[in-house]
Amino acid sequence: MIQKKDVIIIGGGAAGLAAAVSCRQKGIDDILIIERGSYLGGILNQCIHDGFGLEKFNTSLTGPEYAQRYIDQVKEEKIPFLLNSMVINLSPKKEVIVANRKGLQHFRAKVIILAMGCRERTRGAISIPGTRPAGIYTAGVAQELINLKNYMVGKKIVILGSGDIGLIMARRLTLEGAEVQMVAEILPYSSGLPRNINQCLYDFDIPLLLSHTVVDIKGNGRISEVTLAEVDKRGEIISKSKRKVACDTLLLSVGLIPENELSRQAGVILSSITGGPEADERGQTNVPGIFACGNVLQVHDIVDNVSLEAEYITEGVMDYLQGRLQAQREIQIILGSGLRYVVPQKIFTIKDTIFSFRVNQPGKKKKIIFEAGKELVKKKFFPRVNPAEMLRVKLTSEELESVKRLKIRLI
Amino acid sequence: MKREFICIICPNSCHISVEYEGKKIKSIKGAQCPKGEDFIRNEIANPLRVFTGSILVKNGNFSLVSVKTTSPVPKKYLKKVGEITHRIKVEAPVTIGQVVAFNLLNENIDLVATREIEKKNFLSS
Repeated sequence: MIQKKDVIIIGGGAAGLAAAVSCRQKGIDDILIIERGSYLGGILNQCIHDGFGLEKFNTSLTGPEYAQRYIDQVKEEKIPFLLNSMVINLSPKKEVIVANRKGLQHFRAKVIILAMGCRERTRGAISIPGTRPAGIYTAGVAQELINLKNYMVGKKIVILGSGDIGLIMARRLTLEGAEVQMVAEILPYSSGLPRNINQCLYDFDIPLLLSHTVVDIKGNGRISEVTLAEVDKRGEIISKSKRKVACDTLLLSVGLIPENELSRQAGVILSSITGGPEADERGQTNVPGIFACGNVLQVHDIVDNVSLEAEYITEGVMDYLQGRLQAQREIQIILGSGLRYVVPQKIFTIKDTIFSFRVNQPGKKKKIIFEAGKELVKKKFFPRVNPAEMLRVKLTSEELESVKRLKIRLI
Repeated sequence: MKREFICIICPNSCHISVEYEGKKIKSIKGAQCPKGEDFIRNEIANPLRVFTGSILVKNGNFSLVSVKTTSPVPKKYLKKVGEITHRIKVEAPVTIGQVVAFNLLNENIDLVATREIEKKNFLSS
């Protein structure tokens, strides 16, 4: 039997919860959240450090506290959710097959909101040579083991990659009594937020080795040693800089990939740059009625932006359900120099639109320029730009009104 | 002396340049808000940080509950507080904001839970 729903949200983490609450506040009654894990809140539950919610709630919360604010609202609004339930199939017709302890359940929805988040790149993704011992973890898995499962991952640690989770884990491991010897970063700048380098590394005198990477791993059974090397400007390993570092654990914090296997099944076109769906001005993918928000759309820097994005796209969901979402005309978005990506990739309806983007490299005193042909549509000044930060700029419907092609670049 | 600080209060991560002699501040430049200036004053007099960690739970649906200090504590106590958290246990259920340890190190440091933990349901598991 197929159960019909207005809105099915796949994923009960930060994005899914905010989308659900926002849908309900807009008056959508028939909502279902489907969550793979055994609790709501997703990855926020293992992010036990504070600093969340400054934008959204104007106070500094830990991850679990931030999640609880939304879980409370979901429960207050009596929004139904399934736990321990894995979506194993999503079709272009918005049919969903869910596997859980009861067996298989079959749903059909008018709208699907993709909110599956992202997962971590692994050793395989960066092809580190060497033996294949135990003791190599991605930073997020180590975080889950330490913060939720009560397993300590090791005592003598090397961290490769300076993403925020790696930085947070450097501090966490230190406070749990481990010795974090260094964080090595292959790029000449950190991929984490400056405040995390300050409070997670400098506070504990943990060295950050820029332009360094792990070139070899040794160990039988358990990892015993890594070889570190400096890289030159072209990213080539400088042979004479190689040195061995004894360790029992290697953490990898080398990037996140939006988790889009289900999106692909449904025929959603993915961007080769963000790894997320190509989306329009309200997060709708090329498949009508399938929307995306949060880290499955683009990897965010802070969770407040995930919640804001989830709330923002539900305006499109509402329009779609009421049959008001009609393409007026297409504005092409052209990615100019200095930027790695921009979301949305397309605009079909002229309304106030938030553009999210990241820069290619750190810089000072930069401007973001929005141009239609030779005409300047908008510019915004940033005293500092950093690839670790997601930047957001809003263009009003008046500013977009006469635009046919919109080019966005950094100068 | 002159030094550049990175503010940790919010994701703006303001780069704040400070001129100071010992603990006396002469000028603060680059903070986008008053919180940043407070941060600098503390950073020079007595750096403060919120401690976050986890402690064991007895009879809970999870074996750990996350905790934080109720207010920022002097940075020099962070590792000591970390050691103490290894020895504290709390009985489920636990609610957010529940005080799980009082007056650590005799420094008025209290720890509160930051996650709801339910009592383990032995019948269903």
